Amino acid sequence: MDEDVLTTLKILIIGESGVGKSSLLLRFTDDTFDPELAATIGVDFKVKTISVDGNKAKLAIWDTAGQERFRTLTPSYYRGAQGVILVYDVTRRDTFVKLDNWLSELETYCTRNDIVKMLVGNKIDKENREVDRNEGLKFARKHSMLFIEASAKTCDGVQCAFEELVEKIIQTPGLWESENQNKGVRLSHREESHGGACGGYCSML
Amino acid sequence: IIFSQGNIFFFPPRFISKVEEVLNDWKLIGNSLGKPLEKGIFTSGIWEEKSDEISFADFKFSITHHFLVQESSDKEGKEELLEDAIPQSMQDLLCMNNDFPPRAHCLVRWYGLREFVVIAPAANNDAVLSESKCNLLLSSVSIALGNTGCQVPLFVQIHHKWRRMYVGECQGPGVRTDFEMVHLRKVPNQYTHLSGLLDIFKSKIGCPLTPLPPVSIAIRFTYVLQDWLQYFWPQQPPDLDAIIGGEVGGLEFGKLPFGACEDPISELHLATTWPHLTEGIIVDNDVYSDLDPIQAPHWSVRVRKADNPQCLLGDFVTEFFKICRRKESTDEILGRSTFEEDGRETVDITHALSKLTEPAPVPIHKLSVTNMVHSAKKKIRKHRGVEESPLNNDVLNAILLFLFPDAASDKPLDGFTSTGNNNLSSDNEEYNLYNQFKSAPSDSLTYKLALCLCMINFYHGGVKGVAHLWQEFVLEMRFRWENNFLIPGLANGIPDLRCCLLHQKLQMLNCCIERKRARDEGKKSSVSDYASSTSAGDSGKAGDASGQDHLKDTDKGKSWDSWSDSEEEYFECLSDTEELKGNGQESGKKGGAKELSNLKPEGRLHQHGKLTLLHTGEPLYIPVTQEPAPMTEDLLEEQSEVLAKLGTSAEGAHLRARMQSACLLSDMESFKAAHPGCVLEEIVKWDSPRDYAMGVLKGEVESCETAKPAPAPPQRRIFEDTREVLHYLAVQKPADLARHLLPCVIHAAVLKVKEEETLENIASVKKIIKQIISHSSKVLRFPNPEDKKLEEIIHQITNVEATIARARSLKAKFGTEKCEQEEEREELERFVSCLLEEPEVSVIGAGRGHAGSIIHKLFVNAQRLTESSDEAASMAPVEEELKRTSSSEERRQNSGSDFPAPAGRELILRTTVPRPAPYSKALPQRMYSVLTKEDFRLAGAFSADTSFF
Repeated sequence: MDEDVLTTLKILIIGESGVGKSSLLLRFTDDTFDPELAATIGVDFKVKTISVDGNKAKLAIWDTAGQERFRTLTPSYYRGAQGVILVYDVTRRDTFVKLDNWLSELETYCTRNDIVKMLVGNKIDKENREVDRNEGLKFARKHSMLFIEASAKTCDGVQCAFEELVEKIIQTPGLWESENQNKGVRLSHREESHGGACGGYCSML
Repeated sequence: IIFSQGNIFFFPPRFISKVEEVLNDWKLIGNSLGKPLEKGIFTSGIWEEKSDEISFADFKFSITHHFLVQESSDKEGKEELLEDAIPQSMQDLLCMNNDFPPRAHCLVRWYGLREFVVIAPAANNDAVLSESKCNLLLSSVSIALGNTGCQVPLFVQIHHKWRRMYVGECQGPGVRTDFEMVHLRKVPNQYTHLSGLLDIFKSKIGCPLTPLPPVSIAIRFTYVLQDWLQYFWPQQPPDLDAIIGGEVGGLEFGKLPFGACEDPISELHLATTWPHLTEGIIVDNDVYSDLDPIQAPHWSVRVRKADNPQCLLGDFVTEFFKICRRKESTDEILGRSTFEEDGRETVDITHALSKLTEPAPVPIHKLSVTNMVHSAKKKIRKHRGVEESPLNNDVLNAILLFLFPDAASDKPLDGFTSTGNNNLSSDNEEYNLYNQFKSAPSDSLTYKLALCLCMINFYHGGVKGVAHLWQEFVLEMRFRWENNFLIPGLANGIPDLRCCLLHQKLQMLNCCIERKRARDEGKKSSVSDYASSTSAGDSGKAGDASGQDHLKDTDKGKSWDSWSDSEEEYFECLSDTEELKGNGQESGKKGGAKELSNLKPEGRLHQHGKLTLLHTGEPLYIPVTQEPAPMTEDLLEEQSEVLAKLGTSAEGAHLRARMQSACLLSDMESFKAAHPGCVLEEIVKWDSPRDYAMGVLKGEVESCETAKPAPAPPQRRIFEDTREVLHYLAVQKPADLARHLLPCVIHAAVLKVKEEETLENIASVKKIIKQIISHSSKVLRFPNPEDKKLEEIIHQITNVEATIARARSLKAKFGTEKCEQEEEREELERFVSCLLEEPEVSVIGAGRGHAGSIIHKLFVNAQRLTESSDEAASMAPVEEELKRTSSSEERRQNSGSDFPAPAGRELILRTTVPRPAPYSKALPQRMYSVLTKEDFRLAGAFSADTSFF
């Protein structure tokens, strides 16, 4: 079974406490929902193999604690992650406002420059919405993230969030093939002239 | 031998068909007229080339299509209409918009072509030498062009490659251009001036018409300035022997050197151009010339940069990077037995001595650095006889004082001696560069250490010096731990995971020292309660016993003051603590809530607003909770690996939560200490109810029950943590150290070039520095970056340094500072910065402009100095000198202006005449000639009507 797996991807789920990170994960991996789910301590993780465009990818998904006091370890989990799911609660504006902090933490600790980011606005089943869909979309665009609204409770958008993220990762060259192959700006110092037979200063006579 | 004589008739057809195949493949068939060539397009446009290989027998030719990339793709529409038009290339022969391009393929320069194909021997040292073979090759090409209808000129390269000899042909409907070439070492006299060349051109054309249509002429003289005699390169390499107050050779510790050691601008080329002359307007013959460079309508300048000038900063960083590849350990480099033993031995002796004279580990402020230096000296002497230690004493002392300024001050070391700048500039983007580079703050000990090691590596004994300083550094760390002196230059608190691992380790050590000190002080104050009688002798033998024995043997009456002398004793004190606490706790545990509530509450931070305890109704206090245990990233990673190994089962997840709940448990301990006799529900009430009470934590209730009341800070792990860090530091090889600190060195180098750039304000450099920063932050944050990428970064930094040095050199040469008029200065500065960035810069106002007059002066001065030194050498009488310079060439030149003889003269002659017969089509004719001191070349393109002749 593992043989036809194209690659193993490390995915991280981050966001404020209580936005439903673990619920999204649980919905995705076990297709269950527990309204009384307890807080995650430190970090937990689950594995699931999915197929995107005929490519099988094994996902190791790290679910992190949103609560500050349980997060001392998390910086080390950012290392080597290829994708990250950033979650906020559409019924709690404060969780949306705090996204900036999460992005800067991500920026500080992730070891790849081309990590793929997906913004998920969770709990759209609830009625007391505080964050408009367009606001989320705008924020995602501004920080070049994928965006989706979802509900772990009703299952809306959950599968899609993970699939799109994986698809994007697989489409990003150098992100998953090899550890060392990170594409960046090429700072080549070669500026040879075009003349094959005579280079640079053939102009001088 | 290239073509075997026997096969001569068989060779061409196969070769020809292969050439035709390639021309067809590349779709070079038929005429396709592009836009007229814009001015300067040869330089600003993009050139591309396509290559293939044609082999015959063993001999390989490469066939290459060179072409200027053109936007217009509406060729097809025009094609039909222009069937009879002469080929594009023939028209280009006459175009004057791109004469003398600053950078171009030589064939472009000679013939003004936008597109051509070259067939040349594939191997660099192969050559088509004999005339018969050249002719054979050329006629094969001619047949291929004819067969395919290709209108792109096709050249073959003959003779040795360095001679750049090409012959070629271009065919169109009823027309043909032959490209011919003469290349000579010695210049026949008649070719040195315009009138002679015009004669050749005309005779070559052999035009039957009289009078001939006028010939248009473009001329460029190039002058080379090599000796900047009036100008001396100011940068001196630092004087390495002088040490003046913390400076070595004028180089302060913690600073990086900058600049080129040699002039990074080697030559200045001035091209004086007469772009549009007509025959008859000017005279230039063997006795007289109108061509005075000062009067030339167009001047342009380019500078030749010295290849890889020696640059101090680049060298510094490069040399430091080289340490990364060393394999030896510190001890191997210093040639000693194991470092660990050595260090310990000395330290123990020192402390035994100080113990004799003093009753307690009272800080002796000036002790650390100097003490270390002396002991190190002794040690080295002991182990290596009379051999000198790699670092001389003065240098070592100066560096240690620079790194540990607190050792010199008489201020007590109580206050945390972190560098105060931390808060000051935390918003500053430059200051926060360490976040991006994963280095360390620029005012931190780690950063300073990196710079010192860099300097030592360069100036003071290379890797040996590095190993030596590192050893001293580790000793100092050990000393500080043992004496409860905090390490200066590190931010407070737990290791900053945004910094390099070494920095984290030092912060970790500081955490340990801080806790140990807090504890020792705590002990001291509580000692009085226990009214102990001291037997100081015990401390001596305690050293060897293992920790477990101590648990039983603990001598409760031991003096608090004599603790912490060695790690073993310290460990002992740990167990003491447990028992000390036990006094309060034991009764509590057994006695239950009632007695507990009689206990004195500890560790209350402040009262919670409304909440009260459920049972007693007393107000609820927020306890002082323990900071998360300090951890460095390597330990965190180990932990995360362990956690990952637990797998995804429910049990695994539960175990994982348990393992990570140490923090929670300690919170409970703290709460209990603040509220003696409290119950679980109250703890739940204190913290987020949701997070504590639900689900997973049910398993934790039991651990809550077992939680002992214990105020923060915890009394655990200090010893293990410390030993781990000190061991870690001690076993770092110089190569490891260099890898740890390279981000700091690159960080410093980037700041240095940035600082230097702001003085010069060079737009292109600003851009490159930005790129370097973004590139570096990608490379350096990645664990174990590849050497190749690191080298690239260092190379980029060196390039920027060289560019800045070039800018300075040019500014000095052109005297931009001396320029008084604001406008003129700005213009001059613009000119100078263009010189750096563009291959060729035209001089506004030519010889009469401001920049022009400065350039003129530069040449005149150089000329004068050469002459005067010549005179001084020979002291030849004036008449004799005149005789010596009898060549008409030189006399002519000297008469006209005060410029030296041009290093090169280029001429382009063009006309349109019917050939070969008067009734033939009038076609473009062109001849380019270039004359330098070394050689002479004529490149002619002569077109003829192939239908009417």
